[in-house]
Amino acid sequence: MDTSVEMMSDSKLKAQKVNVFYAEKQALFDVSLGIDEKSVTSFIGPSGCGKSTFLRCFNRMNDVIPSCRVQGQILLDDVDLNSPKIDPVLLRARVGMVFQKPNPFPKTVYENVAYGPRIHGLAANRQEMDFIVEDSLKKAGLWKEVSDRLNDQATGLSGGQQQRLCIARAIAIGPDILLMDEPCSALDPIATSIIEELISDLQSRFTILIVTHSMQQAARVSQKTAYFHLGQLIEYGDTKGIFTRPQNEQTEAYISGKIG
Amino acid sequence: MRDNQHIVTAFDDDLLALNSSLQDLGKMAITQFELSIDALATQHQNTLDKIIKDDAKLDELEAEIHEKALEIIAVRSPLAKDLRHVLVALKVATILERTGDYARNIANRTKVIATAGNENIPGVNIGRMGQVTRDMLHDVMRAYATRDADKALDVWRRDIEVDHMHTAFYKEVLASMSRDPNVVATGAHLLFIAKNIERIGDYATGIAEQVHFLVHGAVPEDSRPKADRTSRVVGV
Repeated sequence: MDTSVEMMSDSKLKAQKVNVFYAEKQALFDVSLGIDEKSVTSFIGPSGCGKSTFLRCFNRMNDVIPSCRVQGQILLDDVDLNSPKIDPVLLRARVGMVFQKPNPFPKTVYENVAYGPRIHGLAANRQEMDFIVEDSLKKAGLWKEVSDRLNDQATGLSGGQQQRLCIARAIAIGPDILLMDEPCSALDPIATSIIEELISDLQSRFTILIVTHSMQQAARVSQKTAYFHLGQLIEYGDTKGIFTRPQNEQTEAYISGKIG
Repeated sequence: MRDNQHIVTAFDDDLLALNSSLQDLGKMAITQFELSIDALATQHQNTLDKIIKDDAKLDELEAEIHEKALEIIAVRSPLAKDLRHVLVALKVATILERTGDYARNIANRTKVIATAGNENIPGVNIGRMGQVTRDMLHDVMRAYATRDADKALDVWRRDIEVDHMHTAFYKEVLASMSRDPNVVATGAHLLFIAKNIERIGDYATGIAEQVHFLVHGAVPEDSRPKADRTSRVVGV
């Protein structure tokens, strides 16, 4: 496939020849692609294909795994994220992440959202913090449901509400990019639909990268889809094309349910 | 057609069943059309009645195919080639059912012609036209069965021959009608029959385009050669 740098000159995020190793085992092989700004990009592929490893390259979450080595460049607005000058904590404020299982802090709804802005000193006073919390909960489509429960424990919310709270928490510190690692895999179909609708809404403000095992979800929410297999980027292109006429036989086999 | 198998084997079974039903519908449509062309020459009443009666079987099978396709879409969420397979089956089933309708219409009109008992009707070329169209239908269903887009395109190009024959036949019938007012009623039915055959030729090209889409994910890029000039004939 064409991974030329010219092809992605306008990209918000660029991966160039990214190789990732867990100790001696190589998990990603020379992955290069460009991610459009304010779009949704899906990473799909069988378990162990490297899609989550690749997602974690964009906010240096792989740094926390001692045996993990990342080679190659990941550029955000043409700045290399792996440069020693980059502070991973500040990077993660720009690149928020939502995980497979909703993981609210054992605090109130309000405190869950306020936690990040407080650490990063984004609010000068309570009034400003109130605004950030309300704004983030509104953007995450949760405000109407929790506006009178802000001081309740977040763990008392439903699974779908907790996941949207985690999205609000990620949004609260003003990121450009949201990484979502199977954000709906623990949710029922209704909660999944609400999150998918939310992803479509958020797309106008954020660049979203999503790992999903649901082909239909990838088809529904994303404009671009990347298919990974055994650590290789097999095919990357417009989602519509990938799901109706994939160019690669391995992609065809995977999305048609022909390989395990 | 069982190439790479799905992990869920029942999915393969569903697609095979859909394919098998479509092939059955194809055979039924070809048979109905063949019989209608034969009966146009022989005016054999029992055959004509059988064609008219059997058309309901095509309608039933088409409905079954639609139901099966709906079930596959709902239960299996097909993608890529599988999705094209189901969509093409739906479209081809409709085309074949309509082919059956045209065959029945030919039979109905032949019954009227037979009742009129007109001996001086022109009809030398219509049999040949029917034969060529029947072969196109047969070959394109074969191309569908073997997923052969090249063979399908070959059929797609052959339709121009039917168009030429239709135009020639149209002029021939019009000339007969202008010479002898007694054959006007019969001639009018023959014009409709010829048009039905020409439409079945078009349907064969429609199936060919679907085979191309099934194999390559796109219909043929070139525009199809056409030569039906009957709409421009002003007199003879």
